[in-house]
Amino acid sequence: MTDRVGFYKVSPRTIRVWRISNAISYFFYFGIPAVYYAILGADGFHGWFLAFLIFAILIVWSVAVFWFPYQNWRNWRYTITQHEIELKYGIFFKTHTLIPLSRVQHVNTRQGPILRWQELSTVTISTAATTHQIEGLDSTLADRLRRKISTYARLAEEDV
Amino acid sequence: MSEFQRQHPVAAISRAFGLIKGNMITILVFLYVGSQSESFSFWIWLGGGAAFLLTAGFLNWWRFLFKIEDDTLHIKRGIFVRRDLYMTRDRVQVIDITSGIIERAFGLVRLTIQTAGSGSRQAVIEAISVDQANLINDQLMNKQASESDGEFPPEESSLNSDIIQTIRLPNKELLITASTSGSFGIALSLIATLFSQIEPILSNSRFYEEALRLIPAQTDGMVVVTTILIFVVFAWLISFASTLLTFGNFQIDIKKDELVVSRGIFEKKKITVPFNRIQAIHITEGIIRQPLGYASVHLESAGYGDEQGSGSFVLMPLIKAGNILSFLEETVPGYYQMAPAIHPPAKALRRYIVRSSLIVTVVVAAAFWILELNFLIWILPALSILWGWLRYKAAAVGRHPDFFILRSRFISRSTAFIRRNRVQDMTLHQSIIQRYRGLCTLTIYVASGDHGKSFSVTDLDYEIGSALLESFITGGFHQPEELSFKSDSLPDWSRETIHKSEPLIDKRS
Repeated sequence: MTDRVGFYKVSPRTIRVWRISNAISYFFYFGIPAVYYAILGADGFHGWFLAFLIFAILIVWSVAVFWFPYQNWRNWRYTITQHEIELKYGIFFKTHTLIPLSRVQHVNTRQGPILRWQELSTVTISTAATTHQIEGLDSTLADRLRRKISTYARLAEEDV
Repeated sequence: MSEFQRQHPVAAISRAFGLIKGNMITILVFLYVGSQSESFSFWIWLGGGAAFLLTAGFLNWWRFLFKIEDDTLHIKRGIFVRRDLYMTRDRVQVIDITSGIIERAFGLVRLTIQTAGSGSRQAVIEAISVDQANLINDQLMNKQASESDGEFPPEESSLNSDIIQTIRLPNKELLITASTSGSFGIALSLIATLFSQIEPILSNSRFYEEALRLIPAQTDGMVVVTTILIFVVFAWLISFASTLLTFGNFQIDIKKDELVVSRGIFEKKKITVPFNRIQAIHITEGIIRQPLGYASVHLESAGYGDEQGSGSFVLMPLIKAGNILSFLEETVPGYYQMAPAIHPPAKALRRYIVRSSLIVTVVVAAAFWILELNFLIWILPALSILWGWLRYKAAAVGRHPDFFILRSRFISRSTAFIRRNRVQDMTLHQSIIQRYRGLCTLTIYVASGDHGKSFSVTDLDYEIGSALLESFITGGFHQPEELSFKSDSLPDWSRETIHKSEPLIDKRS
């Protein structure tokens, strides 16, 4: 679809946030070889298998840390008009979602510790069926967005 | 009813049974442990358990109070932690009057009240008299309906006066429903589990040996086939009986503003859905039922579901395909819609076939070479290719200015009717391969119970998908000109006249 309305991108500082959070969360995959080592040891075949496992996880980890965040940021687009919210995202699986504002039930802003450090927020939009989030908006922008959505949603209100 | 009231004392017993039903596995484990224990006899365990459950049931009943004041139902409950529940009239979505076996023996009913919103939104009054139930129903439900039209005096709105039409399920249809019901598979697995548990006991008994001796000329193959056959027949019988009990006395009452669906032979169930709470209608044509020309109609609502948390229930267990359109027209106003059908393009056929057969083929090929199986095993990939082709043939989208009609097949073919202003969100997905081929998957989410429900059509042309997404807000849908369509329409059931020939509907007005 052509950008018939201007699409916005999330803050580039989000890349750094995603790098850190991915680095932490993907680190837990190293638990798999650790458990493997604890149970089966590292002799003969097990040693080779362990080396392979660690190598594979290392590759996944570096992709998740160095490549995903940038790609994700590059593909993330959103726009909010008086009638609809549109979200486009995804690296391998591209997703294009359209939420009519009259269907929005509530909208939140949230901040984890890493997001707070970068003064970013996540806006969560809930309908009666689904929940979507826009991660990594500048905190002031996120607040403004939340107010904007709730104002529009009230204007567009119909009975569910 | 402005004073706090207790339920009928029977509630204590049905509550106790409810606890048994809800903790069946725990209780079985305890009984098993109890029967092994030597210090206490089995009967002490059993008696103690029963006493505990009855006490819990009694306390629950004692601490459960309800009253209606200013159009608000106020419930106080909880043995240790007191909870106050207020349900105001304009938030109540559905009131459901049912009765289990225990309640029925005392001429009582169970009242379930549902409101919109998340979290704890359901209140159940376990056992009250029919009069009380009707009173609450009138206070919380009918008045609300009358207020919205403003021409319906509340005192007239008793339970039966405003039924416009009643639709019943004829006995023949009920029998067909029961014999083609899909719960067959569930019953089969249930029996298999049960059998695997009792098999060691049986095989030691003398009866089992006698029975085995009675079967003439047994070979291993024979035994296996007979066992499977017995299982299948048993499972079929169970599913037949359970469907018969669930959908017996099936009846839809169409009122001015709402539908009332009641069903059940022992466990009576009554579901009330206001028309403006209907989120979507979908029609399922099962793999056995479709060749016979039958389908079932399901309804998604924001407030009510068959099970906790789901918003889906059966609106009509069985209907002739030719009667579906008339049925929709009679029961759910505005849902009788037709639209030109948009099918996935020819290039999507390959995706469908690959998707449905790839894994099966790889597994079968590996098994064939490694385990040196009979070449008959290649029937499985052939079937999966057929399956992919069937799924491809079924997939279609119908676009009407105010409606989406989505048809797809997993095993059974499902056709969903979704009003445009009931769509919660609409999403296009594209995997890497789909992007390469210019295809996309369209998914529409509607509200239904706690989690919502999605309907999707896979591998539509990307241009069409984008146009549909675009048209969702603006309303008008312009088919891109360069793409040609078959000129068929969706739904494609032929329409038979229902009014004269079928005794299905009896008009009361």
